[in-house]
Amino acid sequence: MRHDVRYGATDGSVQMPDGTRHYTFGFADLTGVPENRIFSRRGEATLLGPLLEVTEGDDLYLTMTNIGLPGRPDLDDSHTIHFHGFPNQIPLYDGVPELSLSVPVGRDFTYYFKPRDPGTYMYHCHFEPVEHIQMGMIGPVIVRPALERDPAYAGRRFVYNDPAAEFDREFFVFLTELDPDVHANIEGVQEFDWTEYRPQYYLINGRAYPDTIRRNGVPALRQQPYSARIRANAGDRVLLRFVNLGFEQHAMQILGIPFRVVGLDAQAVRGAGGEDLTHLRDIVYIGAGQTVDALVDAPAPGSYPFFNRGYHKLANAGQWPGGMLTEVRVYPPGGLDPQAHPNG
Amino acid sequence: MDLHLWAKAGFITTPDGNSIHVWGLTDQAGGPARVPAPLLILRQGEAVTVNLTNLLPEPVSLLFPGQQGVEALPEGGAWEPVRPQHEGGLLTSLAQAAPPGGSVSYRFTPQRPGTFLYESGSNPPVQVPMGLAGAVVIRPADYDPVSNRTAYGAGTGTEYDREYLLMTGEIDPDMHLAVQEGRPVDFAAYRPRYWTLNGRCAPDTMLPDDVAVLPSQPYGAMIMAEPGERVLIRYVGGSTANHPLHPHGNHARLVAVDGHLLRNGTADLSHKRFTVLVGAGQTYDSLFDWTGLGYTPSNPIPTVIPNVRNLAVGDAGWTMWSGTAYLGQKGDLPIGVVSYNEMGEYHFMLHSHEEPQLTNWGEFPGGLMTMLAIFPPGSLGPEVGRLGHGGGM
Repeated sequence: MRHDVRYGATDGSVQMPDGTRHYTFGFADLTGVPENRIFSRRGEATLLGPLLEVTEGDDLYLTMTNIGLPGRPDLDDSHTIHFHGFPNQIPLYDGVPELSLSVPVGRDFTYYFKPRDPGTYMYHCHFEPVEHIQMGMIGPVIVRPALERDPAYAGRRFVYNDPAAEFDREFFVFLTELDPDVHANIEGVQEFDWTEYRPQYYLINGRAYPDTIRRNGVPALRQQPYSARIRANAGDRVLLRFVNLGFEQHAMQILGIPFRVVGLDAQAVRGAGGEDLTHLRDIVYIGAGQTVDALVDAPAPGSYPFFNRGYHKLANAGQWPGGMLTEVRVYPPGGLDPQAHPNG
Repeated sequence: MDLHLWAKAGFITTPDGNSIHVWGLTDQAGGPARVPAPLLILRQGEAVTVNLTNLLPEPVSLLFPGQQGVEALPEGGAWEPVRPQHEGGLLTSLAQAAPPGGSVSYRFTPQRPGTFLYESGSNPPVQVPMGLAGAVVIRPADYDPVSNRTAYGAGTGTEYDREYLLMTGEIDPDMHLAVQEGRPVDFAAYRPRYWTLNGRCAPDTMLPDDVAVLPSQPYGAMIMAEPGERVLIRYVGGSTANHPLHPHGNHARLVAVDGHLLRNGTADLSHKRFTVLVGAGQTYDSLFDWTGLGYTPSNPIPTVIPNVRNLAVGDAGWTMWSGTAYLGQKGDLPIGVVSYNEMGEYHFMLHSHEEPQLTNWGEFPGGLMTMLAIFPPGSLGPEVGRLGHGGGM
C-alpha cells in the first residue's frame, strides 16, 4: 500500500497547566492541503508532531516542506526528518544534515521508507538536534505487522508477527522534558548553553498533568492534540508504546498493574534462536532514544495512577501535582466502544 | 605477561581550543599521560603482572573489576590478595596503592574472555574522571587473529570481521582546574561541560589513532566497515555517568554485558537494540552489520533528488555526503562545499541520545558523537578495525 504524507516544518507554541506558554518548533500535517494553502499552516506546529502509522511492507513517501518560522523570521534553519531506528537505512533518507541533505525554507524533500520490521519508533529533525528536538520537532511512528493483513487474522491487532502478541487497545506514551529557558532564549534570539539544560516540565504526549488526562483535541490545547489518558474495558489487553525522546532517563509505573515487556526498540523480545525473552516489570525504565512495547491487562474498573517514579518529575515548574502523571481508567466490560485509532 | 604503567599528569585538548589538566597512565617511560589509559589486550588463562609507578602527588591504585584472584605487591611487602585499605576505621583506598613516587604491582590470570575496565581505586570520584581508567579486552583462549576471530570463543556466535572499542567519558573543567591548582574538589558542584569517546570530543573522535596533534588522546573512535561485515563494537562506560548510545543505520545485537555472554544454558538471550543504555562501569559487546536495501544505479531509489542547489548541503561549509544515493558513487555537490567523503562511502552518526552531550561546552556539534562509515565492498584493508593501535599493548 502506498502512503503519500506531507509534513510542514514550522513553529508554534504550547501551553502548560500553570498558564505559561512556550515557543516551539515542530511539524504540521500538510497532507491533502492545497499547494496555495500550505503557508496558512505556518505557526501551526503541534507537539507531538503527527502520528506516522504504516504497515510493514508499505511504501511511505514522506515529503517535508520547510514553511519557515514566523515567530523567528530571522532564523532560516533547515530541517530534516530522521526516522530513528529504521534498519539498513541509507544516508539520503536518514535526515542527518552533515551526512546528506537538509531542507531550507521554502523547499521540499521527499523521503522514502519501506518499513520491514514492525514496532514502535520515533521521528525527529536532526538539524542541530539538541535544539530542534527540545524545541519540539518530534513525533511517534507505529509500524504495524503484516500479520494484521492476513485474512485469517482479519480485524485483530498485533504488536509483532506473533499471534501471541495480540492486543485490544493501544496508546503511545511519548516522554519528553521542557526547559523553559531554552524556549525563551530561542524565541528571544539568544544563545543557550546546553550544559545548563534544566527541565521544569515533564511531558507525556506533549502535555503535563492535569492536561494529560484531558481528551484528544481539546480546543484549549490546539497545538497539543494528543491525550495521555489510558482508557480500556476490564479484561482488555492494552499495548503501551513507550518512546523516550527527552534527554533524561525515565521510570514509568502504573500503581497495581504490571507490564509485560514484549518489544524493545522495535524488536520482539526474542533471543537469536527465537527464545521467548518477554518479562514482567512493575516499572518501565527507558533511556533517551529507546522504545519499549509493553502489554498490560486492564483489571477491575477504576482509576489507576500512571506516573514517573522519579517523583520530582511530577511537578510543573516545581509544583506538585503535575508533569509525567496520568491515569489508566478502566470501565466495566462493554463500557467503551472498540478503539478506532491509537490513543483513541 | 609483564606490563609497566606510569601514572602521571598531563593535558588533553578539546576541539573548541580548551586545554584540560588530566591524570592518565602511559605504558612508555617518559611518555605523555594517556586518556583513556592504555588498552590492555590480554588472553584468557595467561597470567599477567601490571607494575604501576606513581608520579602523581597522591596515592594511586588499580582495580580490575570482573577479574578473579587479583593479588597485589605493595612496596616493601609480599604478594597478598587485593583488598580495601583503611585508616582509623575509614576506607582510604579500594586496593593497595602506590604512594607518590612509589610503586605497586598487581597480578591475575584472566578466567573468562570479554570487555572490562581497569581504573584507579584511590580517591576514585576524582581520579577516575581525571583520566585514570582504561579498557581491558580479554581474548578467548582459542582466539586466533586470522582463523578464529571471536569475542567469546568458538561456538558462541561472536565471530566478527572488524572490531572497535568505544569508551565514554565526561569532563567537568572546573574539577580538573581545582586538581591542577591543588584546591579541594566540591562534588556537589560537579557538572560536566564536555563528553568524550575514547578521551576525545567530536569531531576529534573521527580522527585516526595516534595523530600527532593529540599526543595524550591516541585512540580514535571512527568505525569503518563494509556491507554485510560483522562489526564488534565494545562499549565501555568509562567514567561516572550513564549514556544511551545510538548508532544510526541499523540495530546492533547485544551479545554480552559486563564480559558475560548473554546465554543461559543453551538459550540465547542476545537481542537487537537501536539504543544501548551503557551505565557507569558497564560494558556491552554488540554486533552491528549493515547490508543496505539493495539500491544501486540499476535498482534506483524510488524518489527523485531535487537539484541540490535548491537544498541545504554542508551548511557548515563541509559535508560527509557523497552527493548521490548510492554506495561507491560520487555526485555533484554545490560549489563552495568541501566534501570529506572519500569514495562514495556512507556515513552514519553514532551518538548519545542525551543530546546536550553532543556539544562542546554547549556548542553543537561536538561531544559524545562519532561516525560509523560503510565503505564500498573491497575498499578496506584487513588492518582497519583491529584493536591494538593507539599505543595499546
